[in-house]
Amino acid sequence: MDALTGLLHGFQVVLQPQLLMFCLLGSVIGTLIGVLPGIGPLAALALLLPITFTLPPIAGMLMLSAIFYGAMYGGSTTSILLNMPGEAASVVTCRDGYQLAKQGRAGAALGVAAFGSFIAGTLSVIALTFFAPVLGKFAISFGPPENFTLMVLGLVCTLYMISGSPIKGLVMVALGVLMATVGIDVVNGRERFTFNTVNLTGGIEILALVIGLYGVTEILSNVERVVKSTLITEKVRNLFPTRDDWKKSAMPIARGSGLGFVLGLVPGGGPITAAFMSYALEQRLSKTPERFGNGAIEGVAGPESANNAAVGGGMVPVLSLGIPGTPVTALLLGALVIQGIQPGPMFIQQQPDLFWGIVASMYIGNVFLLILNLPLVGIWVQLLKVPYRYLFPVVLLLSVVGTYSANKNVFDLWVMLGFGVFGWMLRKLQYDFAPLIIAFILAPLMEQSLRQSLVMSRDGAWIFTQRPIAVVICAISAVLIGLIVFKPRKNVPTGGDL
Amino acid sequence: MIERALNATWVLVGAAGAIGAWNMGLVTPSGPESGLFPFVASVLVLIGGLVLLLAPKHRALDVDWPDTVGWMRVGGVVLGLSVIALALPRLGFAAAGVLTMMILLKLVERTGWLQSIALSVGSVAAVIGLFDKLLGMPLPRGPWGF
Repeated sequence: MDALTGLLHGFQVVLQPQLLMFCLLGSVIGTLIGVLPGIGPLAALALLLPITFTLPPIAGMLMLSAIFYGAMYGGSTTSILLNMPGEAASVVTCRDGYQLAKQGRAGAALGVAAFGSFIAGTLSVIALTFFAPVLGKFAISFGPPENFTLMVLGLVCTLYMISGSPIKGLVMVALGVLMATVGIDVVNGRERFTFNTVNLTGGIEILALVIGLYGVTEILSNVERVVKSTLITEKVRNLFPTRDDWKKSAMPIARGSGLGFVLGLVPGGGPITAAFMSYALEQRLSKTPERFGNGAIEGVAGPESANNAAVGGGMVPVLSLGIPGTPVTALLLGALVIQGIQPGPMFIQQQPDLFWGIVASMYIGNVFLLILNLPLVGIWVQLLKVPYRYLFPVVLLLSVVGTYSANKNVFDLWVMLGFGVFGWMLRKLQYDFAPLIIAFILAPLMEQSLRQSLVMSRDGAWIFTQRPIAVVICAISAVLIGLIVFKPRKNVPTGGDL
Repeated sequence: MIERALNATWVLVGAAGAIGAWNMGLVTPSGPESGLFPFVASVLVLIGGLVLLLAPKHRALDVDWPDTVGWMRVGGVVLGLSVIALALPRLGFAAAGVLTMMILLKLVERTGWLQSIALSVGSVAAVIGLFDKLLGMPLPRGPWGF
C-alpha cells in the first residue's frame, strides 16, 4: 500500500462518528491538560490509559495520540496569559508570549501560536505519512540482533540528548532496565526481585511509575511554595495575526516545523528540546536579537511550531520501528502492547487500519485543535482562573483512581507515592526521568531480542558483529558514546517530561 | 549530604542487584539465563553510582530545598496520599477520598471549612460519577455500601 492509498484508507477508517468523537475528546482533554499547569500530557495519558483498555485499539490510540498533540496546543495559552507553562514544551513561550500579553497583544500571540501549531502540526503529519512507511519497509528485514542494537541506539541517543550529567542519565537508564526485570521471567517462569511478595510478581505497574514520577512529583514541586497568580485578565481580542505578524512569523514557523520534525525523530529529542532549540535559532538569526525576551512574536512562532512538529516526528520511530524517543511515545507504545499489538517494523503491514487510522486522525485532530484554540480560547482562559490550590487535590484524586484502576490493588498506590517522593528528590538533584521511563518500557523488548539473538548465534555476542546493519547501528552508538564522554556539553533543557 | 546518600544507595542497589542476578544464573549452554539482563543493568547502576560518589563534578549545583513551610506542605500531600492508600480498602473510595481532600485543602492549603467540605464532597462525587457510573470502572465501596 503506497502512502496516498494508505492515507485514503486511513480516512475511510477514521471518518466514523464514534472515532471522530474519540479524536475530538482526545483533542479537548489534550488542550485542557495543556492549559492547566501541574498536569502534563504524560501523567494525563497514564491516568486515561485504563479507560482505553475497554475500547477498541483504534479508538484508544486515536484518543491518546490526540491528547499528546492537543497538549502542545494548549500549553501556549497558559504560557502567554499566566507566564507559567501549561506543559514543559511551552516553557520558552513564556518569555515573549507573556511580554506580548503585558503589552496588550495577547490575542496576536495566541493567534500566532495556534496558527503556527496548526501549520507545523499538519506539515509534520504530511512528513509522517510519507516517511514512516519507507522506514517501516526498510526495517522489515531486521531480525533480533538489529532490533536489539536499534533499541540500544535509542537509549544512547536519549543519553546524548539529555541535559545535565550523562552519568546520572546512565544510572536512570540502568535503573529503568533493572526495574523492568522485576516480576516473573516470561521465558522460564522464574521470579526475579519479587522478594516473595505476590504484589511484585506481575512486575512494577507502569501506571504507578509514570503517575508517581510525573503526576505526584509535579504536584510536590508546585506545592512546596505558595505562588501568586500572574494571570492577565483583560479580554483576549484580535486573534487573527496582522500582516506584519505573519511577515515576522512565516520563516520561524517554517524553520520550527523542519527543526521540530527532525528533532522529534531522534530519540531523546522531542517537543521540549525542539522548542528550546527553535528559540535559540530564531534569536541567533534575528537582526534584532535584543527584542527577544521583550515581546518578539518570532519567539512565540518558532518554538510553538517546533514543539508541535516534534509530535509528528516522534510518531515516526515509534510506529515504524517500535522505538520510542520520549516518555510519551514510550507510553503510547506501552498502550499498544497492552492491547496485544506487537509494535515494531511489521506494525504498518500487520495493522494498516490502526497505523493509517492514527495518521489520518492527526490531520483531523489538528483542525479540531485550531477551532478549540482560537474561537473557543475564552473557555480556556476562564479555566485558568481556577486557583491551583483547588486544582491539585482533584488532580491527586484522579491520580489515585488512575493508578488503582489498573490492577485494583492498593499496593500500586504505595508504589505511586514512593515514586512521587523519589522523583521529587531526583528532580531537585537534577536528574532527568526520560531515560528511566524509556528504558523501563523498552527493556522487555530488548531482553527478548537479546535472548533471541544469543540463541540463534553460534558465536555468542559476536552475532552483533556479523550482521551489517547491526554493525552500522553499533558504530553509530559507539560514536555517540564517544561524543558523550569526550565532547563538552551544552545544557539544552529536555525537561524529561515528554 | 542527601545527594551523597543517594549515590551510596545506587552503589548498594547495583551491588545487591548484581549479586541477586548472578545467583539466578547468567548463561547456560542452552542460552542466556534470567540473570543476564538484570546483571548488566545492576553493574551499570553500580558503576554509575561509584562515579557519582567519587566525582564531585557530577553533583547538582544550587539545590533548592524547600523552607520549613514548604516541607510541611510537601509532608501534607504525602500524608494525604498515605491516608487514601490506607483507608481505601477499609472505608471505600467515597469516605477515603473526602478524608484525603480535606487533608489537602484544610491542612496544606488552609482553605475554610465550608469551602473544603463542599469541594471535597463535590470532587469525590464527580469522580465517582465519571469513573464508577459513566465509564463502568467500579471503585471500592465501604462498609456502608458507598
